[in-house]
Parts: sequence; C-alpha cells; structure tokens
Amino acid sequence: MQKRFDKTYDIISNKEICDGYFELKIKAEIGVIKSCRPGQFFMICVPGVFLRRPISIHDAQKGEISFLYKIAGKGTKILSQIKEGEISMLGPLGNGYPQLDLKGTLNRIIIAGGTGIASVHFLAARLKNKGTLYYGAKTKKDLLCLDKFKQLGWKTIISTEDGSKGYKGFITGLLEKKLKSDDCIYVCGPAPMMKAVIKTAKEKCISGYASLEEKMACGVGNCQGCAVKIAGQIKMTCKDGPVFKINDIEL
Amino acid sequence: MKPNLNVNFAGIKLKNPVLSASGTFGYGYELADLIPLKKIGAIITKTITFEPRPGNPQPRIAEVEGGMLNTIGLQNIGVKAFVGDPLEKLAKIGVPVFVSVAGHSLEEYAQSAKVLSSYKEISAIELNLSCPNLKKKIVCHDLPLTADVIKSVKKISKVPVIAKLSPLVADIAELSLAAQNAGADGVTIANTYPAMAIDVKTFKPKLSTVKGGMSGPCIKPMSVRAVYDAYPVLKIPILGCGGITSGQDAVEFMLAGAAAVSVGSASLVSAQNIIKIIDGIEKILAEKNISSAAALTGKINQAVNIC
Repeated sequence: MQKRFDKTYDIISNKEICDGYFELKIKAEIGVIKSCRPGQFFMICVPGVFLRRPISIHDAQKGEISFLYKIAGKGTKILSQIKEGEISMLGPLGNGYPQLDLKGTLNRIIIAGGTGIASVHFLAARLKNKGTLYYGAKTKKDLLCLDKFKQLGWKTIISTEDGSKGYKGFITGLLEKKLKSDDCIYVCGPAPMMKAVIKTAKEKCISGYASLEEKMACGVGNCQGCAVKIAGQIKMTCKDGPVFKINDIEL
Repeated sequence: MKPNLNVNFAGIKLKNPVLSASGTFGYGYELADLIPLKKIGAIITKTITFEPRPGNPQPRIAEVEGGMLNTIGLQNIGVKAFVGDPLEKLAKIGVPVFVSVAGHSLEEYAQSAKVLSSYKEISAIELNLSCPNLKKKIVCHDLPLTADVIKSVKKISKVPVIAKLSPLVADIAELSLAAQNAGADGVTIANTYPAMAIDVKTFKPKLSTVKGGMSGPCIKPMSVRAVYDAYPVLKIPILGCGGITSGQDAVEFMLAGAAAVSVGSASLVSAQNIIKIIDGIEKILAEKNISSAAALTGKINQAVNIC
C-alpha cells in the first residue's frame, strides 16, 4: 500500500492568485513529497466546518506541496483566511495518473475545465512527453497558471465562455474536431465537460484518463459517499480513483 | 494510579469502552497504517445484508452545520463475501469484532445471523434496526416486528445480540425495554436522525434520496438524552452513540447511562480521533481520581438521587 500521512504541516503561504482563487503552500518533508503523485489529493482540515476538504495536489517539489483552490463555500472561504501557522491534513490519497514516463508515440492532451486545471498542472510537470493543454474557463479572469504550463513546455489552447480570451464557447466545442485516435487524453473539470469529453473519446476510440469528483466525507473509502460505477462495478472515487480509465467510466 | 479502562459489555470483555461505529470504519483493517487498531475497544463492521447491495445513487453525502447527512443505502458485499477475506483480516487485528446486520425482512436478518453464527471470530451481532435509509418503514417504528427480529436472531446466534435503535421514536425507553424483553443482550442508542437539506442555488435536495441520516456533533445532545431516558428501565447495557468527538463527549454518554460508546462520524473526519477519545477518557478518569471507566456508567443518576 502506498504511504499516506495524517499530520500537521507548517503553512508557507496562502495567497490569492487572482480573484477568488488561492494557492496554499505548505512545508513538507521529502518522504511526503516522494509519495505524492499527479491526480492524488489531501483531505485538508478546516477549522469551523465538520468535514475535511478534499483538495488535489497542484504541485509537490523542493520541500513544498501546493494546492490551488477556488472559494466555493464556507470551508474554502475559511481556508482562504488562514495565512500562517499549522494545517492538519491526510494524504496523499487515491490513485493518480499511471504510466507517466511512458514514451510511445501517443500525443499527450490535457483537457481542463475551471479549477480542474489545479491537479493537471502536477500531471503536466511529471509527464515525460509534453503535449497540448486544452483549457476552458468562464472568462479571461478565470484562466489560471497558463504561464506555468508554458514554462513546462506545453502548448496551450484556450476557450472562454464569454470569448474574452481564445475561442468563444466551451472547450469541448473545440476538441470534438481535433481529437485523433493516436491521442492519449487526461481530463479534469466540471461534470458536463467531463461527460462530453468522455463521450467523444469513446466514440473515437481514444484512450486516456479522467479524474472524477464526488462528495466525500473520509477520503479513505470508509464512508462510501463517493461511489461511482466503473466497468460494471461500484468503486470509490477517493480510494479506487479519483483517476479512472476513460473506457471504464459509465456515464 | 493508571485508571482501569476495561469494561464488560454484554459479557464481552473490552480493553476500553470505545468502539468504532458501524459504517464509518470499513472493515477496520484498511486503516492499519494510520492508527494502532489494537487500541480500540472493539470494531463494529459496516452493516452486512444477506445479499450484496449496490447502495444509493449520488449524491450520498451532504455536510450540515456541525455534522453531515448520508444516504449510502447499506452498500455492502453481502454476508457470504464478508465471512471470507474481510473477516479473516478483521480477526487478525486482535480486538473483538461486532458484525452489524440489517435486512429487508425478518427472514433476511435470520439468514445472515445463521451464516455468521458459525464463525468464532465474531464476538457479537449488532442489529441495525434503525437505518433510516431504507425506503420502507424502519423496523424500530414497529414494536412487534422489532421484538420478532431480535427473537429470531437470538434463537440462532451463539454470541450476544445488540439492538441498535432509532432515536426517532415517541418513547426510547419503551423501545429499549421491548428490545430487552425480546432477549437483546444490549442496545445501541442511537442511530442517525432522519434529516434533509436543500440546495438553494438549484432548489434540489442535497441527497439523491431527499432524506438521509444526520450524524456528527450536532446530534450529540439528543442522543445523550435518549441514553439518559432508556438507562433507568434497562438491565442490559447501553452502547452510547451520536456525535462523539472527544473523551469528554464519551464520558458524557457514560454518565447518562452508557456502558460503552461507539464513535462514527469523528472517525470519518480522522481515524486518529478514536484513539484521542480513548486517551481523553483515561485523562478525565485520572483527573477525577476515578479508578475505572465502568464506574462512570449512569453516575449522573446516582448524583440526582443523592440530592
């Protein structure tokens, strides 16, 4: 079994990187960082709310782990106000993206919608073969960390719902025509986008992985809150996922 | 002097009065890397039914102020799969194993009990008579049926049978007494509370089944009350349950009349909480100079009588 840690960490910073989006950085020892894989998450303890919050790893290197999150409710609001001290969390949890160092001839395509960009950044950093990021957001203001992807050597293609930057409309509108059978795709984003991409991928026999999101209480498979149907079986998003093979996901 | 945490619950020797509540601890062994499982008083498994169940659709979980709602729908692998690998791994932990059992009908409870009764690794059966997630009326709302389920399982079981009761009844003392009269060796008071929440952005219920069971610190005072009301009428021990997150909470339940407690939602928040609760009880006993945990049970009642 992979290593997971239930402990407190020192906060390095917790800054608003743009309107409503924050990046939390914590100090972590090498053992924890070595255990972190793209697609995995931590359950972060937020004082004032009952349950811990599952937040995916945005980056893990050089003694720090970072989390990129949007204020979505009471928990993330309180989290955004914690500027220093310690934070308690459990992780890394779940199964991340496999076969990151696989060379091969497949084109790597990352498809992110909204805050889905947070976890695929870590994926882009660790994938041996660089490729293209398709990234859709509401407006220009909601586009995050494009510079980071460019630095990593990824090509970026953008859409915004209001057309304030890039293609106007959903990223799925762009993708449908572009995806080819020699692509390997990695998807993370809101449910309607994921559904559309998974449908297209299945129709075109394109292989890849999707990172799912469901409400969960524990993050370790015990509450059974985050059940999803995968290849005819009930699986837990937290423990068996959140990353699943696109072909196995039943919509 | 180090306080003695041992308690005897329905004839089962427990090294301390803290159990993991059903449905919040998996089959126990999955948490072996996070906490010393051997320290726990006993493990109550997630509820097993005779046939496997897929559980309810999404969403199954919603957070509320001071707690959470769930509608898992008794997702489980079924009793025949349970007695294989999971039970073997559970038994290896080295703490008593209580198996939680539910069924659609009296017959299903009895069928499961029959399978379980041949395994010596099992220390007790806890009957889930109060799961509010089933679409039909819950067992606890039918006193004759409650008694019949307990009687039929008692007839088959070689181990103590604990009846887990719903707190949402007109008279918890009457229900507890009915369980005792039917032959239950103990009662768990209480299960979750039927509750619901609506998302005002979408006007949709937050759970797929609209209503679910509420747990967490927000229910604790109500469950302490239920234990307090049942305690005077019972000869069998009470397993207190509902929103326990600290040693103080556990002691509160015991003062109200519980012989032991089970910890549910707090284990979901962090598996370490159950260990902190055990340590917390020990600390309180030491501070109060009370020699044993068993001495806490129902102590509030005695104090009232003296006054």
